[in-house]
Amino acid sequence: MGTSSADVSTPARVATTTARPRAEARWRRPLPWAAGALVVLACLGLQTQLYTGQERTVTTIFMFVALAQAWNIIGGFTGYASFGQVVFFGLGGYTTAVVMYHWQWNFWLALVVSGLLAAAFGALIGLPLLRLKGHYFAIATLGVAEGMREVVTNLPDLTGGGAGISIPTVGPGAPTAYLGNDGFYILFLLLAALAVLSAGLVSRSKFGLALRAINQDEAAAGSMGINTTLAKVAAFTLSGFLVGLVGASYAFQQVTIFPERLFDVDITVLMVVMVVIGGSGTVLGPLLGAVALQYLSEYLRQHYTNLHTFILGAIIIVAVILLPQGVVNYAREAARTRDFSLLRNVRRYRL
Amino acid sequence: MTAFVQATLYGLLQGGLLALVAVGFSMVWGVMNVINVAQGAFVVLGAYIAFALNSTLGLDPLLGMFVAAAVLFLFGYAVQRGLINLVINAPIYLTLLLTFGLDLMLVQGMNIAFTADFRSIPTSWAGKSLALGDIRIPLGRLIAFGVAVAVTLLLVAMVTRTRTGLSIMATGMDRGAARLMGIRARHVYALTFGLAAALAGLAGAMVGTVGTFNPAAAAGYTLLSFVIAVLGGLGNMYGALVGGLVIGLVEAWAGQYLPGTWVNAFAFLVLILVLLFRPSGLVGRPFYASRVEV
Repeated sequence: MGTSSADVSTPARVATTTARPRAEARWRRPLPWAAGALVVLACLGLQTQLYTGQERTVTTIFMFVALAQAWNIIGGFTGYASFGQVVFFGLGGYTTAVVMYHWQWNFWLALVVSGLLAAAFGALIGLPLLRLKGHYFAIATLGVAEGMREVVTNLPDLTGGGAGISIPTVGPGAPTAYLGNDGFYILFLLLAALAVLSAGLVSRSKFGLALRAINQDEAAAGSMGINTTLAKVAAFTLSGFLVGLVGASYAFQQVTIFPERLFDVDITVLMVVMVVIGGSGTVLGPLLGAVALQYLSEYLRQHYTNLHTFILGAIIIVAVILLPQGVVNYAREAARTRDFSLLRNVRRYRL
Repeated sequence: MTAFVQATLYGLLQGGLLALVAVGFSMVWGVMNVINVAQGAFVVLGAYIAFALNSTLGLDPLLGMFVAAAVLFLFGYAVQRGLINLVINAPIYLTLLLTFGLDLMLVQGMNIAFTADFRSIPTSWAGKSLALGDIRIPLGRLIAFGVAVAVTLLLVAMVTRTRTGLSIMATGMDRGAARLMGIRARHVYALTFGLAAALAGLAGAMVGTVGTFNPAAAAGYTLLSFVIAVLGGLGNMYGALVGGLVIGLVEAWAGQYLPGTWVNAFAFLVLILVLLFRPSGLVGRPFYASRVEV
């Protein structure tokens, strides 16, 4: 990490740090790390207070925190809106299921291999696909995810095809005993922490600056000496690695997995919605967005079963219209300019 | 040989219908740089409107499709004017998310209103078929194909020959300049989106007549629209027609000769290859792929 990279990470930061004395900026720097560690400890404490059903809900929230943060690295920092990020989720999940089912691999080994395979796949498809921009990149990645689902469906000998595949979890044939609700709670908490930590490190590093530069003006970033291809592919690969790990853990948690669920386009869209509502390109935004949206979604599912997706759709529309730059970016800008008007915020992007 | 000719014919007929499904999507993308994820929901909504008119009033879908188109035009106009215009200058994934929210609401709304059961619009003519030697031509599909091609050609004529159409093209090429020439961009955008929705409604009525549909089918039509729009290319109104026919043929041939659902994997492979080697599509203009909005 560069010594002053955190201070110039956004234009807003530049304004605040130049206005304040240097000493204050120095003690503020480790603050987010300490807060993050406290939150992880608090989540471990929270676990003892939850019923089984609640524990499962919180586990799902952790999962989406990890997924949203992973999408944020490629979609938020770099500005390449991938609509096929679920391909890494499915790839990770199926790698774990296949090696545990066919070759009785240990889950922990399978987890690491799944992540690495997803990362390798990310590098492989990233090289050609990241040459595309905007909608074309979005659709090409969507095509990769949909195509991969069809490939998995059509290889029944290896993947079980559309009928699904079951990971052996009980009895002497099980390579790794099922982790249970408590075990998965901790596993997904650690994955979420890893994803947030990765995004935090990227955000404050020179690499993160390169990604932000690419987001703002790729040609200018290239002419300033940034190897844009390398940076983009690295971001895509890192994101794929994280999503692959989550997919592998999800497969083990679900025991039986199907291509329809593991390559579900809705998972990608949820990642995007969470990042956008929270504030893309920030570390805090996707975290808050994932927690808020997943909690809300679970609440709606329990109280308004029939209208659940209908209300969710309405919330997405309202959020996109009122806070197009996300809660965190809005709050930071509002605090800086002392302008809290939502109406003026709506005018920003309108025709 | 008969099987091949039969598959080819079926593919062409299906392709024409798919072109009508995608032509509005392609136009909205080309003119406004908006990806309308709710396109599939519009198609299914059109099918349900024609279905409801048929089951309550006994209206033939060939007439009901005009009602469906009119309703969807008004709906599309209002959506663009009241919602999408508000975020049109935002980063691309925001408009995509907005239409995704709309798609969720429409699909779930249709689930509640019409249940998730598969429906089909019954007619006296859709089940008949003409025999041409050994080859059979299903009459319903032939009429749907005729409607689809006629409407697509009408759209081309409207866009290239009328003042309204020219103002749509002009706004798509350079919004800033178009506004300086006195074109009301907000109205033109809303008009474009309304037209696209109306065409989707028309397509839906035809789709509902020749096959079955339910709210969950919306996602499939959106995805098909993506593939067809990219394959055909933007900035040329014939793009969707070419893309639709190609996809229809590829699906029919692959369905005939490939096992399982490999045909879908194949379609996406073609899509990615086209994106990589000819991002402007088969007949599209490169300008639209690299344009910067003012």
